[in-house]
Amino acid sequence: MIRIEAEPWAAMVAHARESYPNECCGAMLGDNTGDKTVNAAMRLDNAFAGAQAARYELRPEDLLAADKAARERHMDLIGIYHSHPDCDAYFSKTDLQNSCPWYSFVVLSIQKGEFHHANSWLPNFDQTEAAREELIY
Amino acid sequence: MAKVLIPTPLRQFTGKQDSVTVPGATVGEVLSALTTQYPDLRKQIFNDEGKLRSFVNVYLNDEDIRYLGKDATPAKDGDTLSLVPSIAGGSSVAAPPEEVTLSNEEILRYSRHLIIPEVGIEGQKKLKAAKVLLVGAGGLGAPLGLYLAAAGVGRIGLVDFDTVDFTNLQRQVIHSTKDVGRNKIDSAAEKMLAINPNVRIAKHNVALSSENALDILKDYDLVVDGTDNFPTRYLVNDACVLLNKPNVYGSIFRFEGQATVFAYKGGPCYRCLYPEPPPPGLVPSCAEGGVLGILPGTIGLIQATETVKLILGIGEPLVGRLLLYDALGMRFRELKLRKNPECPVCGEHRTITKLIDYQQFCGIPAQEPKVTEGEIEVTEVKAMLDRGDNFVLLDVREPHEYQIASIPGAKLVPLGEVARRLDEFDKNADIVIHCKSGMRSAKACGILKQAGFEHVRNMKGGILAWSDQVDPSVPKY
Repeated sequence: MIRIEAEPWAAMVAHARESYPNECCGAMLGDNTGDKTVNAAMRLDNAFAGAQAARYELRPEDLLAADKAARERHMDLIGIYHSHPDCDAYFSKTDLQNSCPWYSFVVLSIQKGEFHHANSWLPNFDQTEAAREELIY
Repeated sequence: MAKVLIPTPLRQFTGKQDSVTVPGATVGEVLSALTTQYPDLRKQIFNDEGKLRSFVNVYLNDEDIRYLGKDATPAKDGDTLSLVPSIAGGSSVAAPPEEVTLSNEEILRYSRHLIIPEVGIEGQKKLKAAKVLLVGAGGLGAPLGLYLAAAGVGRIGLVDFDTVDFTNLQRQVIHSTKDVGRNKIDSAAEKMLAINPNVRIAKHNVALSSENALDILKDYDLVVDGTDNFPTRYLVNDACVLLNKPNVYGSIFRFEGQATVFAYKGGPCYRCLYPEPPPPGLVPSCAEGGVLGILPGTIGLIQATETVKLILGIGEPLVGRLLLYDALGMRFRELKLRKNPECPVCGEHRTITKLIDYQQFCGIPAQEPKVTEGEIEVTEVKAMLDRGDNFVLLDVREPHEYQIASIPGAKLVPLGEVARRLDEFDKNADIVIHCKSGMRSAKACGILKQAGFEHVRNMKGGILAWSDQVDPSVPKY
């Protein structure tokens, strides 16, 4: 289960809406002991070279910086969020093949510019499937 | 000896420590020592063959070891190693059908599909999960776009760089009179969304080329070829074969059309049927040869039907069969198509393994040859007529074109008859030749010059330029 506090949740939704019709991405920081709780959202640059309406890419340096920021704030890097403009919050084949089993992947569906629904996913090691994780926000 | 920073989720395997200092002279040795000390970490970082998992990047201080010395990168005391996953994604690959949901609005909308047992909810979800690329938003693209959107194909990509022209409206029913001058893909997307706002449309406002084709096509399940020229047709074919995507093909000319499905599960491709393109100019395009406006409707909807069947996985696909349609005789015929074992792109000994220069392959020079020598502007021809100069104005178009529009005083000799009617002209006469746009008249100039005529000039831009610059009352066609 992953719980996202109101403040980071609002920041994630705002980020996704601002980036529409492109995809946005970012890191979720918080407490990883017991149930995962997200206390802070950190915007990261969508570094995909090309049309970003249906793609995102994180620079490893940015992820490293997010991990450092988490350490400095005595938090954990819990997961990654990104948006799916005008389509559902499923975990696509592209998402799966470029994922990592260490983190929770929250996908926000933005339909016609407005938040619609979200899901959290836990990919496996072989990047062949992702299990749906209970998401509370 | 180096310090390894442990990502949060892996700290459960290192006794909750967020960093671990382990011995080793190189990065490889450090990682090996790390996973020996904490065996549960091994599975997280290495695969069964002992290689770093594909998503794991290793950074020495701020540098990716791939750009240093990889595993052999020296690790000094005080160095910090970080394990950083590579993460990307996006919705560009549609949801698998089992992840797709249909809203109540969609269930009502697709009701007449849902109650066919061969389609049903499952089939409708397949349609919604499908990604189809339409190459061309013209005659064939118009019915394809409208019906595939209506049928609920979830994602439709449109490739076209053209704008709507008055001469398109006779057949390209996705565009309206008010759209003349607009980008075809904007005009088409608007009509498709008006029919079905649930469809996601990706607009590729570019000319498909060897440089961009693989990148554009790769995200789609299926490609529908609605192009009107040979270079793009070979390009679409080769790209589909290389990417292993079915190519739903259609073509039209005057009263006749063809359709088939190429490159489907090892079936024949366009090159198996036509290994070589015809010489440039031999097969006229719709703009040159004309087309019955309804014809692309018929052929486009055959392509749409095959597309939907392939997505649903029902029926007998039009694979290995070339369907020929004759509108005047109102007859369909079928030719058997076989895969050519010697096909250069899909055969056993392939010579084409990447996209080539298709303009060159089809014998079209990269730039139109400049035939400025021997050309004359329409305004100059008008001045000659007004002055009453002594010259012959020769029109080399067809009689039915002459009926649509002509320049007073022009003598009509269709291009095909020019060579055997040379004796009708005086070799010393001043001759100006025109056609519709200047292509055929350039050929006629060549024929006359070869026959020894010396004072031959080509009227630049043909009767279209005449209408634009001299006499707007002459209709353009």
